[in-house]
Parts: sequence; structure tokens; C-alpha cells
Amino acid sequence: SVTGTCGAIQKLTRVRVVDNSTLGNTPYHRPPKCIHVYNKSGVGKVGDTILLAIKGEKKKALIVGQKMPGPTMTPKFDSNNVVLIEDNGNPVGTRIKTPIPYILRQREGQFSKVLAIARNFV
Amino acid sequence: MWRVLRALRAVAGGALRPGLPALPGAPRRGWAAAAVGGRADTAFPKFNIDFVIALLRQENAKDICAIQLPPEINYCNYFIIVSGSSTRHLHAMAHYMLKMYKHHKEESDPHTVIEGKETDDWLCIDFGSMVVHFMLPETRETYELEKLWTLRSYDDQLAQITPQSLPEDFIFELTPNSSDHLETRT
Repeated sequence: SVTGTCGAIQKLTRVRVVDNSTLGNTPYHRPPKCIHVYNKSGVGKVGDTILLAIKGEKKKALIVGQKMPGPTMTPKFDSNNVVLIEDNGNPVGTRIKTPIPYILRQREGQFSKVLAIARNFV
Repeated sequence: MWRVLRALRAVAGGALRPGLPALPGAPRRGWAAAAVGGRADTAFPKFNIDFVIALLRQENAKDICAIQLPPEINYCNYFIIVSGSSTRHLHAMAHYMLKMYKHHKEESDPHTVIEGKETDDWLCIDFGSMVVHFMLPETRETYELEKLWTLRSYDDQLAQITPQSLPEDFIFELTPNSSDHLETRT
């Protein structure tokens, strides 16, 4: 069988939640995994929304950092970072501890709220 | 009351922002309902921060908080947070702001969408050099954006979230071919 090309974040990738929500920070015996990518291709890059399975619950999240190198002059992170989001777009946590890339501002989508709770930018 | 807070920086920031000048005059074209102040307007009303604050005051927005950001944070120049009395009030303010922006913008600055239309407590508009957040008072207290943007790294919520430390046996290796390069969680 042939598998499709691997991308940054797709189904069943383990991700790291980087905000200070209780759901993201309480320890659980399984890491949070992506179960769906809201994209035409099943591959999520920085700025895409995904569905996460955390602590037995489904939660939407926004990708803010990926390990795969992106376009030139965009930052590459050491872990796939993700910020939890409600269904209406409000972030679940109130602060983000890791740097957030600036390209989120140029991308089309609802990122101003996530940028507003960020601590520093890259 | 509108107050201007400067970001607390150790480096000498910009000059103190002068007191709010008199409200700009009424916009040039039609819009009788949008008469702001009594002075006739000779110059074209530019969509700058004074105009935005005047519009917000006209809309009975509560607790207008405008923060001038230093240029080291290349996010925007001004960060404005506004409270409204109800969901409809927030939506009305946001749509009115967007309308006035579209009316008065000269050079095409393409990013103006209202973000958070599906929510009922937090809307947000990003003009190029300014960002305006419309929130309900409860939401404002949950997020405390003013604290975050004035004390950038010394915010107290940030201090509470970083007791997480690396485990003692964590070795940071910069080998290019490390296969299991997972972030360890405590």
C-alpha cells in the first residue's frame, strides 16, 4: 500500500499545548493527538485549525508552530505547538508561553485573539 | 474614561503622549448621524487613533483603554480595548467601526475583517497600525489584556504558569539526526 506524503501535522500526530488552560496542562497518560484537520488536504500547517483529542474530550485547536520547515524566512519550532480554541473561536487559555510567529497576522483567518494573548513574537 | 498607558520598558520609550486634543470635526460626506463635535472639518479626517477614540466615545463604549506599544513589538502601534454593555452593543460598535473605516480609508489597507462574529463576548478588528478589541466586562476580567500588554514579560498570569521545569535527566542535544526528538512533559 502507498501512504500519502507526510506533512507538518496530520491525523494522529501528537502535539504540544502551549497555553495555560487547565485542559492543556493537567497531566494525562496519553498525549494530545490530532484527529482531524480542517483543510482540503489532511495536512495542517501553521494557522490551520485541527481537532484534538485531549483527556478523552474533543477540542478544536490552532497550530502555532510546526517542526517541519516551512517557507523561507518563517520560524521552525522544535515541537508542534498548538493553542486550544473553543468552537466559536475564543481561546481557552489566557496566556501563551511560547513565541508565536508573525505570519499569523498576514494569513486569512481569525488569529487576532490568539495574538492578543501571546507573550512574545518571533 | 480613556487613559493612555505606555508599555513599561526599561529602555527609554517614546515621548509622553500629549493630552487628547479636541474631537475632530464632522466627516466631510453625508453621515449626518455621525456628527462628532461642532468644529467644521477642513482636512480629510484620517483614520487615526484620535478618530477611533472619538467614534468609540460617540458609541457610548465603556472603559476605553488605549495602549501605545513600543516599536520593538512589531505588532501594531496602538492596542485598544473597549467594553460594551451587551452582545448587540459590541456587534453594533464593531460594524459601525468597520463602516467608518471603509468610508475613510485612502490607501487600500486590505486587512479589515471583524473576527469573532460567532462569539457573543469578544470581537476584534485588526486595522494595520491599530487593533481594537470589543469585549464584555466579564471577558475582559478573565483575560486581563491590559496587564499583559503593559507589563510584557512581568505579567502575573504568566508568572503563574511557568513553574513547569525540565526533568533532571533532560539532555539537550543538537544532533541533526536525532530521531526521537519529542518534547518531554512534566
